[in-house]
Amino acid sequence: MRESEAAVLKKSDVSAFFGSLASDMRLIAPKEAFGGDVIFDAIESPKDIVWDYGHDIYPPKRFLLPHYEEMFRYDCRGRIHIQPAPKPSPQAIIGIRSCDISAIRFQERFFTQPIVDPYYKDRLDATVLFGLVCTKPPRRECFCICCDSGPWLESGFDVQLTDLGDRFLYEVGSDKGAKATEPRAYLLTPARSEDFAERRRLELQADSLFQTTSYIAKAITYISADEVPDEVWEELGSTCFRCGACTNLCPVCTCFTVDDVENTDGTFSRCRSWDSCQFSGFTREASGHNPRSAYGQRVQRRFYHKCSYQYIMRDGRHGCVGCGRCITACLTNLGLPDVVKRIRRAMHAYLEPETKRSEV
Amino acid sequence: MSLAFTTCGFCSAGCGMYVQVEGGRVIGVCGSANHPVSSGRLCIKGWNATPAILGPDRLKKPLVRKGDRLEPVTWEEAISFAASSIRRILDDVGPQGIGVIGSARTTNEECYSLVKFARSVIGTANIDGANRFSDFSLVPGLLATTGVPASQVDINALPRAGSMLIVGANVTEQLPHIGSRIEQAALNGCRIISVDPRVSRLNPHTHMWLHPKPGTDLLWARAMLKVILDSSSYAETAAELGGFQELKSSLGDIEVSQLKYSCWLEPEDLIRATQILADNPPVVVMFGLGVLQQVNSTELVKALADIALLLGGSVMPLRGQNNAQGASDVGLACDYLPGYAHVSDPAARKMWELLWNCKLPAEPGLSAVEMVNACGSGELKGLVVFGENVALSAPNTQVSMDALRKAEFLAVSDMYLTETASLAHVVFPACSFLEKDGTFTSIERRVQRVRKVVEPVGESKPDLEIIADLAKALGSEISREPAKILGEIAANVAWYRGLSLDKVSEPWGVQWKIPEVEPTLVLVADGAYQEKAEYPFLLIASRQVYNQHTGTVSARCPVLLREYPDTYAELNEADAERLGLRPNREIRISSEHGSILRILMLNDGVPQGCIHVPHFFGGDSPNALASYECDPISGVPVYKTCSVKVEAVK
Amino acid sequence: MVLTPSKPLRMWGVTDSPSADLYVPMIAVIEDIIDETPDTKTFRLRFEDDEYAQSFSWEPGQFVEVTVFGAGEAPIGFASDPAEKRFFELTVVARGKVTKAMHAMQKGDRLGIRGPLGNCWPLEAMKGMDIVIISGGCGLAPLRPAILHILRNRGDYGDFWLLYGARTPADRDYKYDLEKWAKRDDMHLLQTVDVADENWTETVGVVTVLLEKIKVNPENAVALTCGPPVMIKFSTIELLDMGFSEDRIVTSQERYMKCGVGKCGHCCVNHVYLCTEGPVFTYAQLRALPEFRL
Repeated sequence: MRESEAAVLKKSDVSAFFGSLASDMRLIAPKEAFGGDVIFDAIESPKDIVWDYGHDIYPPKRFLLPHYEEMFRYDCRGRIHIQPAPKPSPQAIIGIRSCDISAIRFQERFFTQPIVDPYYKDRLDATVLFGLVCTKPPRRECFCICCDSGPWLESGFDVQLTDLGDRFLYEVGSDKGAKATEPRAYLLTPARSEDFAERRRLELQADSLFQTTSYIAKAITYISADEVPDEVWEELGSTCFRCGACTNLCPVCTCFTVDDVENTDGTFSRCRSWDSCQFSGFTREASGHNPRSAYGQRVQRRFYHKCSYQYIMRDGRHGCVGCGRCITACLTNLGLPDVVKRIRRAMHAYLEPETKRSEV
Repeated sequence: MSLAFTTCGFCSAGCGMYVQVEGGRVIGVCGSANHPVSSGRLCIKGWNATPAILGPDRLKKPLVRKGDRLEPVTWEEAISFAASSIRRILDDVGPQGIGVIGSARTTNEECYSLVKFARSVIGTANIDGANRFSDFSLVPGLLATTGVPASQVDINALPRAGSMLIVGANVTEQLPHIGSRIEQAALNGCRIISVDPRVSRLNPHTHMWLHPKPGTDLLWARAMLKVILDSSSYAETAAELGGFQELKSSLGDIEVSQLKYSCWLEPEDLIRATQILADNPPVVVMFGLGVLQQVNSTELVKALADIALLLGGSVMPLRGQNNAQGASDVGLACDYLPGYAHVSDPAARKMWELLWNCKLPAEPGLSAVEMVNACGSGELKGLVVFGENVALSAPNTQVSMDALRKAEFLAVSDMYLTETASLAHVVFPACSFLEKDGTFTSIERRVQRVRKVVEPVGESKPDLEIIADLAKALGSEISREPAKILGEIAANVAWYRGLSLDKVSEPWGVQWKIPEVEPTLVLVADGAYQEKAEYPFLLIASRQVYNQHTGTVSARCPVLLREYPDTYAELNEADAERLGLRPNREIRISSEHGSILRILMLNDGVPQGCIHVPHFFGGDSPNALASYECDPISGVPVYKTCSVKVEAVK
Repeated sequence: MVLTPSKPLRMWGVTDSPSADLYVPMIAVIEDIIDETPDTKTFRLRFEDDEYAQSFSWEPGQFVEVTVFGAGEAPIGFASDPAEKRFFELTVVARGKVTKAMHAMQKGDRLGIRGPLGNCWPLEAMKGMDIVIISGGCGLAPLRPAILHILRNRGDYGDFWLLYGARTPADRDYKYDLEKWAKRDDMHLLQTVDVADENWTETVGVVTVLLEKIKVNPENAVALTCGPPVMIKFSTIELLDMGFSEDRIVTSQERYMKCGVGKCGHCCVNHVYLCTEGPVFTYAQLRALPEFRL
């Protein structure tokens, strides 16, 4: 199948389609957990796929950058022997949303340029992303349209599915996607203009349903020019719980720490695990000196990484895909839109103290 | 790859969390989105501590002391050694020569079985829990007033409170999920009055911050009661409560204007705070270890409960450990039976004697604090400790460790070789909450299922199994099945009626209902901390968000340990200058009973005349400075005010 | 000409990845351990793999990530003569878990090495100029390769001043080198200590005091600094006062580092990853970063 040739997959054929895929690779999809929770996890059968989930709370980035990952193992009793971790097996992530796919493309660029991180690359090479377009924002906190990362994508996906009622619009976006589709292409039929029209209609409708907005552009301007006063950052940092949830759940965040952990059999594993710039130990040096000892400095750091022109130039896009997880996960109110709004208001008061503050 | 759902075993908020395990190793953890407490979030401990629970130096085999070393042995040998030691002491001096201390972290089923083991298998009255070192004052204090020794408020009801009085609790660091609701409440317009000698991270949310002199809380609390009564700010229903007139007359001699000298409090501030609370119902009165480990803690609890009752509000005692509520609910206490009947109650004793087939004494046995001391005096020959690092949680570390060393027989069950375990004659390797089944009861009385997520590390066993093994070796049967044990608890403890393991395994557990009890207003005695002239500073002890209890588990996580590897203490800048002490240098903090070393840091959020000493991992805990002086009613040591002196270390 | 540090010829992960894994170290043997001061040791290392050892090269200013098997990894700068092919040296202060474990090691023990990492002192661009090197305490270590390179290629450079300060005479690194350098007539070595002993005949005081004694033409000079932050701060202020322009003051920045290859995020100062774009920067470059504080 040529790239960008759109097709249609009937919902009644979904089981057969993904059932057949299961023989080539492990299937990961949104699955019902406990008490109404839906979390991406390995599924036994395509029937387990929960297609209409709100966001899951544990981002699928963990299938490419695991929460705790063994890099390699070594035995240092006697001659030093280093054993690399086994190569990852093929996997398909089905039902991943546009925001998360945009985040993966961001991470891909970060982890492969200029130096290639072998673990991320191997996992990504072994992963096929079957994206699912949001025909309406799944949660109140979504704001992907503000971040140019959804609700549907022009490119960046391996396969993109749009729910058109009794069928999915099926778009292939890469060679990997084409290769995964080929063996089961017989289940697809070519898309017709009515299918595209329906998709168009859903796209336009989705745009108007977003409840959270974030005027990130203004924040980018102030933050890039380092114009936000220290007092504003201090005030923002004064309620931070230092839990690291924002960075853990952010599909874009990539920072990690590395520790050598002893195993029960006497070998050691060099493991990497998610770290957070919001922890005070993130930058503390062996001498005890800490360049970011204040909460405000660390909040500033997070937003510099997310919203500065300097990082946009470096990474190709700004560091937020509008998934809204940091809003839900934060124990206080330091989700990105909240902080952007508070910076805007604070700057408004700061720059024009005599002006009566308008309702923002 | 498996994603299992369980309840977090750190603090008492009781978050629902998913743990992902692969190859016996935790590879992921996240909070449940729909769980009413976690709501998709975890705190720094929840996110980071699972690797520490399965750390490399987990005890994998039982250990028995041979000579001066602890040697690995089989379970049979360890259990039979323990049983024969216990039997020997029983033969020599009888059951009063043995003590048993349980934990506020083990499951309800384990706590209950331990009580049974002590009272009916060994036959001793010396059975107590780790709560005695921390929050037990709330039991006699609240039983006398609200009648319910637990929170009357649900965590998710907090954002709707009209006002809050938060005393002696660094909630945002200790119970982040509750701190988050408090912040939400503040944003909703709730008026928060915080009472804490130092600036904490709660301050950004507070409407008013009162900072009385440490140790003088009874003075301002009684003064607040007087202000409420004199200004008739109490709720209509309060006047009909029992004890109203007596309380009113007992406060007649208080001079509110004197607060400035006795408590460092401006009288107008206290009056204004009281008015704010009275004008903004519903009121929630919360208090943490700053009250519960304070001088005259039980009286203080009564005073705060009286304040809540007068204002028509409710009480939320902030107990920290994951199963502190459950442990005391099921009777892990020397002076109470399961369900909070006092041991002196003959009807209650008769009921439990029948059920457990044993005799129960009418007098309380030794408390956990007394038990440690009694090892030193020889009154106690044997001590069995389950899941508590007593050497560090007891006061006056020096005396406590010496006492434990003197014990003829010390048996410890724990996950790691703690300071207490390293003094023992036999050590049982115990399972963490990820490796066993059972239930925890959270701070909002929510009984929740704890699921086995990983196979036990090495040869470790759940405490339940160890207790059953010991009982069997002593000729008795104790069930090994959590479902059965919870069934027995439910059948005999009124507030757990109707609970079963199946029921609590459904989302999201079951909250036991507050019983219909008539609250009473009680008299509150006067009292204040007596300072010592040669020790001019008052100690303010606290906890950090990334540290739990004695740090046995939390210290083993690299990310948590990294947060503040240097143990520090804080002084007000003016005090430091006056003493000629420079920051980032070592200082010695000493009391009559012990001394610790810390690195000095300066912080003007600490009032002059006080030194702020956070708990850190391992030794050098501020507990070392405390004496064996305890609250007379509850037996909880006074950890939270102490006279100390501060000097540089050359 | 505005001076900027040059790109190094080799960088692990960019120009080569011999083990085909960015994070897996090569094995090196400890050939010798020299006690510099009570808390500092110099480790002389040679790669186990002879072929790799032959082809290995690095430039002054670069560093490696050292694995102490069983403890972890830590970044340490090269401290020996880059022209020396038989071995390379790392000078280590025992401060954290990994460095303390390293100090407990013996000759013949093995370490893991990933490198060379980072950029280098702008020795090419500095040709023809007067050189002032200001260092304090263990800050002399990352500068030692530059000093040895300058001395080996003495003709390429103008006047050479080396200023070194330590807490006490016993706390100085490379005393054996300092002795030799003091006797050379093609360089000026000025030393100072905070607290002297009975044999100390030189200056007592902070390193910036030594700056008053140097004679260079700031229009055609470069200053390299490395040492405690407070020393760098006051030296920089003094040098600017003397007429050095901001791009002629070069330093090696320090931050907590983990992966060394620009992925883990710990060493970032604003958008700059110190491990791949540094640690050598001119003051002009650093001043452009809002997070940087002198």
